[in-house]
Amino acid sequence: MRKLRAFLLRLAGLMVGPRRDHELVEEFESHLELHIEDNVRTGMSPTEARRQALLKFGGVEAAKQSCRDRRGLPFLETLAQDIRFALRMLRKNPGFVSVAALTLALGIGASTAVFSLVNAVLLKPLPYPNSEQIVFPWRQSPPGLNLGYNDFPWGRNEFLFFAQESKTFEALGAFRSDSFNLTGSGDPARLDGLRASAGFFPALGVSPLLGRTFTEDEDQPGHEHSVVLGYQLWRDRFSGDPAILGRTLELNGDAYTVLGVMPRGFVFPRAQEMPGSFTFAREVQLWIPLALSRGPLIPAESSELAVVGRLKSGITVAQGQAEMDVLGQRLQAQFPRAKGWFISRVTPMARQLAGDTRRPLLLILGAVGIVLLIACSNVAGLLLTRSLGRKREFTLRAALGADKWRLIRQLLTESLLLAACGGLLGVVLAAAAIHFVKILGPSNIPRLGETALDFRVLAFALGVSLVAGVFFGLAPAITATQENLIGSLKEGGPRSGESHATTKLRNALLVSEVALAFILVIAAGLLAQTFFHLLSVDPGFNPSRVLTFELSLPASKYTNQEQIVALYQGALQQLRALPDVESAGITETLPMGGATEGTALRIPGHPVTDPNDRPYSNYTMASPGYLAAVGTPLLRGRDFLESDTADSMPVTIVNSAMAKKYWSGEDPIGKQVGPLSQLYPAATIIGIVADTKRLSLREEPPPEMYVPYTQKVWPSLLTMDVVLRTKADPVSAAAAARGAIRSVDPDLPLANIATLETLVDGSVTQQRFAVVVLGAFGALALLLASIGMYGVISYSTMQRTQEIGIRMALGAQRGNVLTMVLGHGSRLAGLGIAIGLAAALAMGHTMASFLYGVRPTDPLTLAGVSLLLLAVALIACYIPARRAMRTDPVIALRYE
Amino acid sequence: MARDKSDVWQGTLALMILKTLEALGPLHGYGIARRIEQTSGNRLAVNYGTIYPALIKLEQEGYITSEWGQSDNNRRAKYYKLTRAGTKQLQKEARDWEQTTSIVARFLSPESGSSS
Repeated sequence: MRKLRAFLLRLAGLMVGPRRDHELVEEFESHLELHIEDNVRTGMSPTEARRQALLKFGGVEAAKQSCRDRRGLPFLETLAQDIRFALRMLRKNPGFVSVAALTLALGIGASTAVFSLVNAVLLKPLPYPNSEQIVFPWRQSPPGLNLGYNDFPWGRNEFLFFAQESKTFEALGAFRSDSFNLTGSGDPARLDGLRASAGFFPALGVSPLLGRTFTEDEDQPGHEHSVVLGYQLWRDRFSGDPAILGRTLELNGDAYTVLGVMPRGFVFPRAQEMPGSFTFAREVQLWIPLALSRGPLIPAESSELAVVGRLKSGITVAQGQAEMDVLGQRLQAQFPRAKGWFISRVTPMARQLAGDTRRPLLLILGAVGIVLLIACSNVAGLLLTRSLGRKREFTLRAALGADKWRLIRQLLTESLLLAACGGLLGVVLAAAAIHFVKILGPSNIPRLGETALDFRVLAFALGVSLVAGVFFGLAPAITATQENLIGSLKEGGPRSGESHATTKLRNALLVSEVALAFILVIAAGLLAQTFFHLLSVDPGFNPSRVLTFELSLPASKYTNQEQIVALYQGALQQLRALPDVESAGITETLPMGGATEGTALRIPGHPVTDPNDRPYSNYTMASPGYLAAVGTPLLRGRDFLESDTADSMPVTIVNSAMAKKYWSGEDPIGKQVGPLSQLYPAATIIGIVADTKRLSLREEPPPEMYVPYTQKVWPSLLTMDVVLRTKADPVSAAAAARGAIRSVDPDLPLANIATLETLVDGSVTQQRFAVVVLGAFGALALLLASIGMYGVISYSTMQRTQEIGIRMALGAQRGNVLTMVLGHGSRLAGLGIAIGLAAALAMGHTMASFLYGVRPTDPLTLAGVSLLLLAVALIACYIPARRAMRTDPVIALRYE
Repeated sequence: MARDKSDVWQGTLALMILKTLEALGPLHGYGIARRIEQTSGNRLAVNYGTIYPALIKLEQEGYITSEWGQSDNNRRAKYYKLTRAGTKQLQKEARDWEQTTSIVARFLSPESGSSS
């Protein structure tokens, strides 16, 4: 306590220095007077008395200083002094300061902005209690079977088994997407819903805003007519009425009782956060009990369940995984025929929600780190140059008693101050960048909206500034103070007396800058090529002038396939009659609209040799005219016809990947193929179409079979996508399409109205974002490196003015001087490029997974970027070289 | 070596100042220095100036307070006074000191090796 009190008083002492000093002088004077008086009383002469008193007191100044030290905090006082001095120095060099601070601001601003993104997407805790305990145990595809994606849904059987047998989960919930038509209260609306089991909400740990969520009792078949509303739906549709609890809504024609309302922002699960093999809505609007039946498995049942679990506290993800492995083995023993289909991968929620953004974000973080390094090297170079001009000052200070550490400390104070300026400016830049990213960034980056300059991001900016300040300040400070200081004090000392160490350090900084910039520009170049390859790739359909929307028929009204087919046929007839529509069709899943169905195949005449490598294909329902509407070329054979009905011969159209894979060297047309399940008949192949990219433009399309919706197919036909190829602007056709649908069923809402181009565009937004960001960083790196190059070359040219003068006096031509300076610059740049090239080749492996259609060692890119950097370096050297060329030998020789 | 001596001086000086103030009541810096020198029988010949940092430290720690006043012969001087905390601290330090010196003394006494 006493110590703390003393410390606080000393801290306060810093503020009131001068007044206290005055008091101290007064006290010492009074002390001396008293002593002199005493001395005089003992008989000394006044002069002698004064002399003796002063002698006895000791050094007045020394006493004052130790009192001052005791009163204040000497460390802080030195710091304040250093800062005052540094501010004075910086004020005197506005040009240097603005260049250095701006360079730093760019580096710090860019890294802060990127970090804020990383922070929001990857680091911030999720809005669920103890979210580290929440996991998704996904079913994995059997080893060796490449189905395009890894995470698959579980069936009802497996989920019930897990829920019953597992010991590591506190709660385990299953859920699947479903849509509901809300009727009876205002305009009919199609709502994106989720069917969830009773364990769903406890697993997530969220509580409703109003009312309650469903219990085990309501999660039973026959008792599931209750609903929990999302905040948005409750507010927009029911004007936020708290009396909604207990009311009944008409969903798909049935009455559902409202149990509760979820808090604002809870829309789990979002499609973008779930694996590509699932089709979830963008945001969920309401939750309904899943009500799995406990009875025997119904073969045709579509039970594609996602599972979420909350691990008991103290149980790690690895322990959860271990248990799932054991349970999977037990299932495998029970069902030996489904070999390899019981492997699970337990994914922690944070990783699941970050999804595919994790790796691109880390790439961008790496890129911004390089920009920051270049910025720091640049400022280090600038400081180094400046410290040479201050050699005499350092020598003088050393001569006056400052030791080496004291000098380094002062130089570090200056560079930290510089870093603080840069950091402050950088935070402003970062705020602006965040603002723009939020507006222009891809909407499918999860949690992008949460990006903000919060406490953690500001702490990061502060940390980066401090580290940068030390990083770029330390090397020049040590070099500057290490040199033989006596030499430079001599008035006639050569001006160009730059030590070898300094030159080397400066050149090393420059070379590393060039190398770093090279790597970054290569990465940006490769990504840009990837992006353009993706845009120019043939997706297997033609997205221009195509309007799409979703129809979802209420099961209560459309109870059998005849009714459903009649509705779609009527709708298609109306749509095709519209003047703007060129062709129309329906399908179960649009390209770039998520995963379609898949099935193991039965190919009569092709016995399965390896049970682990069963034939497999995508399985997509389509109507006559769909292929034409979406623009997938029919390569051979015919399209589906209205005459392909439930009573006629089952038919199918396969894509060329399927034709090549299973009938290589044969003519597939007329051959038979069908789903493995005997419930569905084998169909005759009537046509071959081009491969369609479904999930992303990078994918290699897997085998795919199309089946007419009018024949015996799965899944349910209730939700279908309509595709309209229009003659003009597709968006303007939406109103007419709405009218056409209303004419066949006035209660049927149109959902997810979009153009196909928007869907394709959406699939490359992240790619575009990465290209734009990396391109910007590459340009920034080039700019910074060229500024650094300019600084180093012009400084060394200035140093050699005398030498150049002598050379010219001895007959060197201007051209020789130009070549000499440019040669110096290009040697350094060449070395940097060589190092960068080696690094780029070494890192090629890491880059490869980000690329499409271009190899990381693409010689054209490497050569192009090398030339670009060399050109930039030469331009940066040209200005100082021209100045050197114009050197007047007479003036140069008199220069010193 | 000189440094060691001054360390001891700094450590014991605080105790001497507190003791002086207890014995003589409020006193100025000169008086305290003079008194310490006299009490030591002029064996402690230290610069008077060194007493002031020690006074500042004691004041910061709250053991003494200061106030400007008039000396006997009508000079303005800064007077230091013991606080209640200072009195307590003095007792504690005196005790500690006696303990330390008695231990050290036992080590240094000639019979220390043979006495039981």
